[in-house]
Amino acid sequence: MSMAIIEPGVQTTVQDFPGRLGRLADGVSQAGAMDHFALRVANRLVGNDDAAAGLEVTLGGLRIRFEADATIALCGTPMPATLAGEALPLWESVAVSAGDELRLRMSKGPGFRAYLAVTGGIDVPEIFGSRATHTLAGLGGLDGRALQKGDALALLDAGATDGFAGRRFDALPEYANAWDVEVMIGPQADPDFLTPGDVERLCSQPWKVDANSNRVGLRLEPFRLDWARSGGGIAGGHPSNILDDGYPTGGINMNGDTAVILGPDGPTSGGFVVVATVVHGAIWKLGQIRPGTDTIRFRAVTLDEAIELDRALDERIARAGA
Amino acid sequence: VTGHPSPTAAVREAVDGKPKVTFRHAGDRFLLVEYGEMELDLELNFRVLTVNALLHDRAVDGLVDTGPGLRSNLIRYDPSRIDPARLIAELQAAEDEVPAGGGVDIPSRVIHLPIAFDDAPSRQAVERYARSVRADAPNVQGANNIDYIVAYNGLENREALYAEVLATDWWNAFTGFFPGLPFMYPLDPRYALFAPKYNPTRTWTAEGAVGLGGPCVAIYPVESPGGYQLFGRTLPIYDLAGRNAAFRPDPILIKPGDRVHFHRVEEDELDAAFAAVREDRYEYHIEEDPFDVQRWQAHCAEVRDEADERRRRREAAAEETPVP
Repeated sequence: MSMAIIEPGVQTTVQDFPGRLGRLADGVSQAGAMDHFALRVANRLVGNDDAAAGLEVTLGGLRIRFEADATIALCGTPMPATLAGEALPLWESVAVSAGDELRLRMSKGPGFRAYLAVTGGIDVPEIFGSRATHTLAGLGGLDGRALQKGDALALLDAGATDGFAGRRFDALPEYANAWDVEVMIGPQADPDFLTPGDVERLCSQPWKVDANSNRVGLRLEPFRLDWARSGGGIAGGHPSNILDDGYPTGGINMNGDTAVILGPDGPTSGGFVVVATVVHGAIWKLGQIRPGTDTIRFRAVTLDEAIELDRALDERIARAGA
Repeated sequence: VTGHPSPTAAVREAVDGKPKVTFRHAGDRFLLVEYGEMELDLELNFRVLTVNALLHDRAVDGLVDTGPGLRSNLIRYDPSRIDPARLIAELQAAEDEVPAGGGVDIPSRVIHLPIAFDDAPSRQAVERYARSVRADAPNVQGANNIDYIVAYNGLENREALYAEVLATDWWNAFTGFFPGLPFMYPLDPRYALFAPKYNPTRTWTAEGAVGLGGPCVAIYPVESPGGYQLFGRTLPIYDLAGRNAAFRPDPILIKPGDRVHFHRVEEDELDAAFAAVREDRYEYHIEEDPFDVQRWQAHCAEVRDEADERRRRREAAAEETPVP
């Protein structure tokens, strides 16, 4: 059983959750669904594990023909969708018959990505323990690349998932054009690297997200920090330079005056400071922020608050089914 | 936000020859463990990798992953499985257990790789860059980067550069930027080379290309963009398809803490070996050889004067050489 890609849309990739863990020491990026909230809900609606591979559809434009009966769920940005010509509701599981065509038009937002889960999950080889596509490294997903016209995707055996159609998720996330994103300050912040004023500045105003943003990173409009150090010492001239450290996913990486929030496909290490880190309970938002139009305001939280936020998110996702 | 909690979770002061250790929160899933001060000191990296090996032996539940850097280790954990305070206690216990520098050997291998200097694909990459990106960059004059490295390091000629590359083992301090890409430092301080990176970066580099950026030598695991000054080419170091036996246990050849030793071959010989790798007719020469830190320290002490003298010459030359 399989699905035929008639049109791949702007960029559609196979992604899973949590992506590729366990290979930081080898320089392998995490990859995985940029908005894990939407993919996990979609998976649960069709009776899959959180970890099942689905499709991450950026903006829209995807057309698929199903070659067999299945149950699907589409979650994420409101993307006008039809299945066999009928309007397809989002955040709901729907039965599909062999031969049906799914058509996703462009999302006008808010939000930027939608996730399609299919009973069983997409069957591509596991590389380093994950099916997630990392296009930069050319690994995972289908041949390490975004989908193309004419591709066929196989599905894993769904087992007994009959009766999963018609389930609806009602604890919907709030999408916006002005986003509040929870961060923990650090690892390289005040007093060693930044001034207290720098940290305040980072969190006091909304930052516009540059159009040149993607799964590797969200680039913010340039801003000047005062910095606690006069230079980078041995690591180089600018105080944003350090000797190479590992980079956390969601880290806000300062490259001179340019801040980039490291996405799931971002590098695992590098020679620039990470002044704050998006916490796990908020990292899904990075997948829904629209490059070129949306703004981000960072909200500093404590470790305990971050862990609580993550726990609350897990609980919310669990409402889509176990 | 004034009064936000400090990212610094704990600090161990330097004691009994062990460096200072700073534990910094990096969000709620990562801790950055940082050793000593911001200086290029391979002994800090030796400690990073020794403690890292111990952590892997321990298999602490909830510790998901570790990513060594030059003088740090990024610990990924799952706070639903391990309380962050307990994780830090586990990491502290590992620090207690690992003696000061030189106390234990570091698990390591010597990987012998052939290198062809001034190879055709590297010249082609430079030529392409000069033609389509930046012709006036000082590092691409003469359609190669080698003359630039030679000038920047105050070496007599190309052969002097090649001799330095061949004279030392190269220590893979950490892997990053791309899966399997080693960042290697010379274990013999006399052969510490340096080169500023491309500006802007190069759009294409051949698989197996060997280059110098800052104080690091890197091998490109696949065709990719890059910023290092290229001086030669070696065999594949990454193969997801496992076409050679060397890659079947693991598609990534060079691990943090491995040493690479280059030997010189002509380019046609390298090309033949490259083809043999693909056809599984080539056997990589890899020795298990734990790294003896004390012996290394003794050697460094022995050659210190010569290393300092060479460094001064290099620095003087660097000042006279334009930066890209």
